[in-house]
Amino acid sequence: MSKPNDLVQGTLDLLLLKILALEPLHGWAISLRLKSISGDVLQVSEGSLYPALHKLEQEGWITAEWKQTENNRRAKFYSLTRVGKKQLESEAANWQRLSSAISQVVRLEEA
Amino acid sequence: MRPQHWLYTIPLRLRSLFRRSNVEQELSEELQFHLEHKIEEGIARGLSPREARYAALRAMGGLEQRKEEIRDMRHIRWLTDFFDDARFALRSLRRTPGLTAFVAITLALGIGMTSATFSMVDGLIFRPYPVPHPGNVVSLVSTTHDSPYDDFSYREYLDIRDKTNSYDGVVANADMEAVGFSAEPGTMPRIKGGMMVSGNYFQVLGVEPRLGRGFREDEDQVPGRDPVVVLGPDFWRHEFASDDTVLGKTILLNGTKFTVIGVAPDTFPGMLTFGYPDFYVPLAMAPVFTTNLQKNFFEDRDDRELSVKARLKAGTTLEQARNEIAMLVKNFEREYPNSTRSRGAAVYTQFQARTIEDDNWKFGVIFLILALAVLLVACTNVAGLLLSRSRARAREIAVRLALGAGRFRLIRLLLTESLILATFGGLAGVAIGFGVVEWFHSKESIVFATELPMAIPFHMDKRVLLACVALSVLSALLCGLAPALQSTRVDLVNALKSADVDVPGRKRLWGRNMLVVAQVSMSLMLLTASFLMARGFQHDLMEGHGFTKDHLLMTRFDPRLIQYNAVQTQQFYKVLAERMRETPGVQSEALTQNIPLGIDGFGDVAFVPEGFQMPPDRANINSAMDTIDEGYFETLGIPILRGRAFLSSDTADSPRVAIVNEHFAKHYWPEGDAVGKHIRLDSSAGTPVEIVGVAQTIKNQNMADPTDFVYMPLAQHPVARMVLMLRTNGDPLQLVQPVKDVVRSLDSNLPMLQTRAFEDFYLNQAVRGPRIAIDLVGSMGLVGLLLAVAGLYGLVAYNVSRRTREIGIRIALGATSSNVLRLVLGKGLVLVGIGMVAGLAMGFALEQLMNSMLFNSGGVDILAYAVVVPTMFLVTMLAAYIPAHRATKIAPTQALRYE
Repeated sequence: MSKPNDLVQGTLDLLLLKILALEPLHGWAISLRLKSISGDVLQVSEGSLYPALHKLEQEGWITAEWKQTENNRRAKFYSLTRVGKKQLESEAANWQRLSSAISQVVRLEEA
Repeated sequence: MRPQHWLYTIPLRLRSLFRRSNVEQELSEELQFHLEHKIEEGIARGLSPREARYAALRAMGGLEQRKEEIRDMRHIRWLTDFFDDARFALRSLRRTPGLTAFVAITLALGIGMTSATFSMVDGLIFRPYPVPHPGNVVSLVSTTHDSPYDDFSYREYLDIRDKTNSYDGVVANADMEAVGFSAEPGTMPRIKGGMMVSGNYFQVLGVEPRLGRGFREDEDQVPGRDPVVVLGPDFWRHEFASDDTVLGKTILLNGTKFTVIGVAPDTFPGMLTFGYPDFYVPLAMAPVFTTNLQKNFFEDRDDRELSVKARLKAGTTLEQARNEIAMLVKNFEREYPNSTRSRGAAVYTQFQARTIEDDNWKFGVIFLILALAVLLVACTNVAGLLLSRSRARAREIAVRLALGAGRFRLIRLLLTESLILATFGGLAGVAIGFGVVEWFHSKESIVFATELPMAIPFHMDKRVLLACVALSVLSALLCGLAPALQSTRVDLVNALKSADVDVPGRKRLWGRNMLVVAQVSMSLMLLTASFLMARGFQHDLMEGHGFTKDHLLMTRFDPRLIQYNAVQTQQFYKVLAERMRETPGVQSEALTQNIPLGIDGFGDVAFVPEGFQMPPDRANINSAMDTIDEGYFETLGIPILRGRAFLSSDTADSPRVAIVNEHFAKHYWPEGDAVGKHIRLDSSAGTPVEIVGVAQTIKNQNMADPTDFVYMPLAQHPVARMVLMLRTNGDPLQLVQPVKDVVRSLDSNLPMLQTRAFEDFYLNQAVRGPRIAIDLVGSMGLVGLLLAVAGLYGLVAYNVSRRTREIGIRIALGATSSNVLRLVLGKGLVLVGIGMVAGLAMGFALEQLMNSMLFNSGGVDILAYAVVVPTMFLVTMLAAYIPAHRATKIAPTQALRYE
């Protein structure tokens, strides 16, 4: 199984939820969006994107719908569900806590 | 997972389960969509289409791999895998229908036997009381030195109810009694089973009547004031056609008018193991129902007729409750020394109460042990078969392993197969279980020779069905796991190279040999058990019971059914006996309260034998007793060894007399003659009773060893309900009409109950009843033997077919048939031998268990082993010989051409 080694475990979920919270997107668009907003810092292998999406779907956090793209092709669009919204809030809050705690530690003056 | 999730997830799961091809289609399309974009992007960067495609695939790490990974994300992966496995398993089982059927039948026999016997043990011990929160209902019992399970008297019950703090309510009920019931005045009463209960009975047990109400406490306070009755659900259905307007109706019970106030719900057939009362009446109505003419139910503290149950308070331990009641009963002894001697009290849980109250459950447990042995034999048999089969499939499995199937995945596949087999077996097993339970119910009239509503409490209810499911899964694991583990542990190189991959290592053969040994030993144990049981009952029968059974007519009277008082009752029996003696065709006549081996159980008497050194801690001794008239010993052919039988001169006004059995006489006066000695009733200061005769000991109560027994004359110990027994030269049933004529001339309203030939009754009790047990165990033994034979035959036959080529070569090289026989049979013999030794050991152990639980014969029944062991040996050898013999007929030319 391909794991997003370069990402903290579980953060991919948070990123995907956040991106989908902005607007419903299909897989390809999500991968482009990931690259562009993180400025290539967060490398997500395209292999691990789809299993992650399907997992979120199975959890009931996102839901999928087949729609036409702007250049008239059929694609599977993912959007956030209500449960997903709550999940995003709690994961985001968790992330805030974790990252601020870590930065506190990192900022410690060496004696 | 929270419920709101299900809104999204359930449709998804269902979709991936049932619209699998759609889901797969969409998955491909989605990935394809991504791939195409990626390729376009590559081409835009200047790659050739081909390179772009490779690059895109690389970036995704392969399409198929991703698909697999995504499929794993679906939570129903295990389920779809299971369905795949099941489909595959069904297909491969269908290819070998004979084997499949054999395995399913084998397992069905094991599971069916086990579930039927489990329903016995469940019904006799485990099934909870049919009330809410049955776990905190406990039984309070009076105990004596002779009995761990005795009743309380009404007064004692009131004290327990009012002076204890451990319970949320204490209820009492009398035994279910025969009651004369008529729906309308003026109709002939019919016998129904009624039960007296305390006023708080339904309320404390938490039983909500389906119609009307239960008793109020004030309806159980003044003796004889409130004639109200609550009907049982079955009774209401059959007698009143489920009529809702029955409330307020008046019915006659023992000739007294009672008002119907309620109907118990279907969920409450009563608290008894075997009986289900037709109706309930308050204890305060005891004057209409009570049996004991010598005691006052409401006043006498030693008129012990009530079973007491209570709901333990939350937070109170059994220990606390036990201490409390022990203290209370100790106080009784201080306050009422005349009526409470050497008594204790105990608090039993349902399990304790059911196992202490009577011994029927022991049969159930022994049957269950035997049935589990049958199931084990069946499982080993099936395991052996599956093992043979998995050898034949070794190549298929090797190919699968070589192609990269995980071992765990393959084991799962193989276990799915045995699970399907076990499911077939389980379904058929439930059918067999139903059959056995039905067969039991068809014997009800034999087991209960009574007009009371009694039933065998064995049901294939959901508890038993659950046990069936558990047994099926368990047997699937038992017989599937070993073959699955073994067949997936193959040497791939060898397996793929040659067709005959069987290079038996020591370990493999060891397991297979163990199966044969287990089978032979289990079957031997089963056969021994069935033989021992048959012999045990036969031993009891041959020994006899000490009384005559033939040419006797019996019929029961209960003058209380038509409101005779004590004087009228005495007078009725006196005249009846006189008139019967004058009736042509009657050789002799007897009246007795209970018949030998009857199901009602004898009363008991507390006494102190004169001149007997009493143990310091007890004030009296209890013995079973019967009330009889002058003709009893003659009519039943029981010899009086010393002294005399009762005479018509033993009247209510003459000195009290009794007759004891020889067992009793030897017990208390081992040296001298018991005749002329006295016993004192209740205590050393009680009424003296002279022993005027010693009768030969008979088996009064059951087939087990005889016990002390006391006979009292009817004239001095009046009893309401008596059985008339008549001896005649010819067919006893020819006396029925003359007896009817006499009874009608005395009182045309008095019903004759249980009129039948005594021999017929005796056969039911002593022969046909035990036959049920023998039949059951015998069929288990037979099934065990058949399974073992089939298993051994299969093993040897398989060996022969596997070694056909080798045997052919041996014969070609000059081996004689006896050489071949020895080759094929030799090891089988050794295995059977080992199995027999192990089986003998288990047989001995089981015999000890059966002796301690059922028969008091003791010792070892040599004959049983002398019959069973050679039989077993011959049959198993035959099973092995047939295929071995076939081996000697192998033609070398053909064998070498084989394959």
